[in-house]
Amino acid sequence: MKFIDCPIIGVRPHTEFSISGVVDVEPEEIIDLTPAAWTFDRNSVPIERVEQWYHLPTQLWFDVTRNTGTDEISLVAIKGEENE
Amino acid sequence: MLRLLKYGFIEGYAEPRYFNTPESMNETYDVVIIGAGGHGLACAYYLAKDHGVTNVAVLEKGYIGGGNTGRNTTIVRSNYLTEEGVKFYDASLTLFESLSEELDFNIFYSERGHYTLAHSDATLRTARWRAEVNKHYGVESEVVGPEEIARACPELDLSCGGNHEILGALYHAPGAVARHDAVAWGYARRASEAGVSIFQGTEVTAIELDSSGVETVVTNRGRVKTRKVLSAVAGHTPSVLTMVGLSSPIEIFPLQACVTEPIKPWLDTIMVSGSLHLYVSQSSRGEMVMGASVDPIEVHSQRSTFEFVSDICDQMLDLFPFLAGVKINRQWAGMADMTPDFAPIMGTTLVNGFYLDAGWGTWGFKATPICGRTMAATVVNDRNHELITAFNLSRFENYQLVGEKGAAAVGH
Repeated sequence: MKFIDCPIIGVRPHTEFSISGVVDVEPEEIIDLTPAAWTFDRNSVPIERVEQWYHLPTQLWFDVTRNTGTDEISLVAIKGEENE
Repeated sequence: MLRLLKYGFIEGYAEPRYFNTPESMNETYDVVIIGAGGHGLACAYYLAKDHGVTNVAVLEKGYIGGGNTGRNTTIVRSNYLTEEGVKFYDASLTLFESLSEELDFNIFYSERGHYTLAHSDATLRTARWRAEVNKHYGVESEVVGPEEIARACPELDLSCGGNHEILGALYHAPGAVARHDAVAWGYARRASEAGVSIFQGTEVTAIELDSSGVETVVTNRGRVKTRKVLSAVAGHTPSVLTMVGLSSPIEIFPLQACVTEPIKPWLDTIMVSGSLHLYVSQSSRGEMVMGASVDPIEVHSQRSTFEFVSDICDQMLDLFPFLAGVKINRQWAGMADMTPDFAPIMGTTLVNGFYLDAGWGTWGFKATPICGRTMAATVVNDRNHELITAFNLSRFENYQLVGEKGAAAVGH
């Protein structure tokens, strides 16, 4: 079992979380992309990225920085807040 | 013992190698196939057999059949939901049935009958829908009740521990299992005999284009000139697409499976439960082969987890409580390239001479022969084979998705 050290709630098993994908920065305007490309296209290569994780027991949202190649988590912050 | 000693001294007595690897790569090939899994090797075989194209190189980063070809749970079936799906997978099943003779190589193809269990009215409704679509296209499929399921598999607990009672099932008589490694080895052997070159331990690092399309494939063993490249690399598809500047909706999720220790033969059908996220069959060695839906998180590695085994055993014991004392022997994972509509991405692309056989997510093994045949025809004619036109990469920009989710995966 994998445990994750989170702000406020401490160390938690990762099965307590529901993962809802990458934090996408919405473009100011869609210039070069067609709407279909914006809807469907993904760049699914190994990369470090920020994901939104929902902690079911406490109903808290976290921004989790994770490497999709190695599955290592480098930073966990309460959503919308800077980590200390 | 004496025989062993005797033949040990006779040179050339041993069986020939399954396939030959030339010392060095040619400067030019008519077709370069990236990925020597079942799909890539099948394509090489049909290029040689159907079209007489033998100046072909198959490049493999690891070893043949070492990716998802050797990591799936070997189920072959054609009870899909859409017209495109049913026709395509049924053509594959027909090829599978005679594949041992065709390759003169035993792939241990074994028809078992395939039950998709329904634990709710909604699932039963989808089962009826699928049965009607299947019958319309001549595929043997029907909805059966609990009595018939109990007759076929008396060991099954129809009440599922009282939690999710089984109301019926979609029964697909031609559902089968096959030895997955043998499919890759068989295709490799016959393709190699026909003159195709297979290079293991050869990684593609870049693909160079010129004004008329694909020009050079750069590998860790040197550069190869070619005008036609087929990518058949499953979980590494997005990385290969980046080399030619294409993007796709593919996302990579790990798909895990495991086997128990070998036990006496008792299960001669294939049991699938969408609600329990579980499919199980018994291998010819006696192991229970079990698989689930993909992990809920994007990961680009073949790592396996403890939670997977604990979850799948929990579900498995709901169906078969008597297996409580049986131990898990091995577990593993593959990288599944999932698409939003649970259908593959095949055929031509916007880059001239670059062909794609991808998006095979959790449903690729059963399509191995027909993928090889249709992709070979597509590569030779530079035009999508009629069976795969609906699966082209362009369907996303045209919003013409195939909608196979109800039949392609257990996790829905």
